[in-house]
Amino acid sequence: MNTKVEINRLATGVPGLDEILGGGLPEFSFNLIAGQPGCGKTTLAHQMMFALATPERPAVYFTVLGEPPLKMLRYQQQFEFFDAEVINRSVRFINLSDDAATGDLDRVLKRILDEVAQHDPALVFVDSFRSVVLASESDRRPHNRLQQFLQQLGMLMTSWQATTFLIGEYFSETDANPVFTVSDGLIWLRQSVQRNSMVRKMEILKMRGQPTLPGLHTFRIGAAGIEIFPPASVSIAAAVDAPVPQPPSRLAMGVPGLDDMLGGGLPRGYSLLVAGPSGSGKSILAAAFLAEGARKGEKGVIAAFEQHPSQSRSRLIADLIASGQVGLVDSRPADLSIDEITFMLMREIRRLGASRVVIDSLSGFELALAPTFREDFRESLSNLVTALAASGVTVLMTSELEDRYTDLRFSPYGTAFMTDAIIVQRYIEVDSRLLRVMAVVKVRASAHANELREFSIDAKGIHIGEMLVGQEGLLGGRPTTKQAGDVYPPGAISEPRAPVRSP
Amino acid sequence: MNNQSIDSMNAFFAAGMRSGASSDQIAELTAAACRGIDAALTPIVGRLGAAALLNRSLHLTARTHGWLAAQGEGNQMALDVAALQSALAQQTSAEAAASSVLFLTTFNDMLIKLIGASLAERLLRSVWATFLSGPSVQDTTP
Repeated sequence: MNTKVEINRLATGVPGLDEILGGGLPEFSFNLIAGQPGCGKTTLAHQMMFALATPERPAVYFTVLGEPPLKMLRYQQQFEFFDAEVINRSVRFINLSDDAATGDLDRVLKRILDEVAQHDPALVFVDSFRSVVLASESDRRPHNRLQQFLQQLGMLMTSWQATTFLIGEYFSETDANPVFTVSDGLIWLRQSVQRNSMVRKMEILKMRGQPTLPGLHTFRIGAAGIEIFPPASVSIAAAVDAPVPQPPSRLAMGVPGLDDMLGGGLPRGYSLLVAGPSGSGKSILAAAFLAEGARKGEKGVIAAFEQHPSQSRSRLIADLIASGQVGLVDSRPADLSIDEITFMLMREIRRLGASRVVIDSLSGFELALAPTFREDFRESLSNLVTALAASGVTVLMTSELEDRYTDLRFSPYGTAFMTDAIIVQRYIEVDSRLLRVMAVVKVRASAHANELREFSIDAKGIHIGEMLVGQEGLLGGRPTTKQAGDVYPPGAISEPRAPVRSP
Repeated sequence: MNNQSIDSMNAFFAAGMRSGASSDQIAELTAAACRGIDAALTPIVGRLGAAALLNRSLHLTARTHGWLAAQGEGNQMALDVAALQSALAQQTSAEAAASSVLFLTTFNDMLIKLIGASLAERLLRSVWATFLSGPSVQDTTP
């Protein structure tokens, strides 16, 4: 017989929080929510309270000095989770300012106990705890007295079978505050400011008895309250649990002739980098890829990171989005984290059952990231590509590339290594005209054409033409006419390189 | 209290007036409402918070009913309900009813502006229910 106690874990109702807590909130735990003013402590507490409180599991929210309760109620009700109807039923607010103002912690403790005895709550919140600390500083030995108070409160609340939260402003986690030792859980909220952007981050410094997800997790506060973006690895796990519909093993690109160049289409689950200079037709290629998917009944998702989405988004993409065949993950001001983008992409992929994903473009993507994340851009992008690959979708990313005729480059981020296939577009000058050429540089573990083909763009899209067999030195930008007898046979197909992974 | 309830309160006092309710009876009802408000709000916003709201309403009502100004001059940390009741009882029944309606509706409007109609209604539901369904003014006429 298993005689070990089974800890019930409560679903907090805060999107993403249960995942980073390691499976929810342990019942009867004694927790601290800490962080600087304005970082979302009270909002987090309210959101959990309204989600968890029921008539059978009522909550009591003690307000101490700090923020006047009227103001707290005024602002918190702006959130969608706030339900005035449950107040004085499953949620009860109790003000302790009269007791705390005396500085007598015994009196505060007694009042808390009296109210807990009267209302028998399963959830207890004390906001803000710092006020209690300050109020106690008139005491001769504040630290000892405070520790004693905390231990008593922690013990009593556990005995009363109440899951408890102390909400407090603590400016340093290295501060040897007794509350850190006494608490079972320690949720630390931060605001990271760099240049003009501010990013909110949450860290679970401690949660007894369960494997929390380490590190800083970005979160956003919106009309619905707090939404936390767990690391990409969690999105991957969720994606593996719910695999997307699997289309044929090779995907058609929607551009006549390109599938042949790729050796029969883009292998499913591959990530394709389309690199080229501004205006070369990368976004048009991406749109054709999504449109071809829609034509075959395969849903798509586009992450559009453009400066002026409404102006630059093609009519084709706009129609696909409007018809629901393509989901849109839009860019926001420069305060995104890679985890948030991954989360939004995965959510949209799951919602639509999408199998084709476009990221247009990596340059815009980098700009959409908060400056604090840009240093890790390459690593973050690798995580994103891994997460998408694990979910089974096929990804097309565009990358702005300055035409440099002295070398052959594919991406300014060194991203070429992490993609399975590469198409490069270039401008060349022939007879005083600027022409476009395109080549398939790489398709991992697959044969593909090695031709450099001219292509044109009109209202119907991309048209791939012939090789410029009479010219040489195309990659230098200024080709010259070849001498007679130098012509190579057209349509040459390269041999596949040693497979790195099976398609 | 929503608009319908405010209308109910006006009708409640008007009915009392028609049936010849005395200033004493009106003062007693208003004092009971103040005590109900205090009891409902003090646990949530603290003694000082509740007293500040009531005193502010009294101050605003005194702009129209000047004699009330003396009531708000005392201790801002608490509302002296007994003194308010006594002052109301000394007015004519028409003046007592008019000032009481204005005082209570001013208070309610202020609370709605601060915390919204739904939460204000939720917090004071029992107060208004008791007030409006209690013994009506005319019933207590000797």
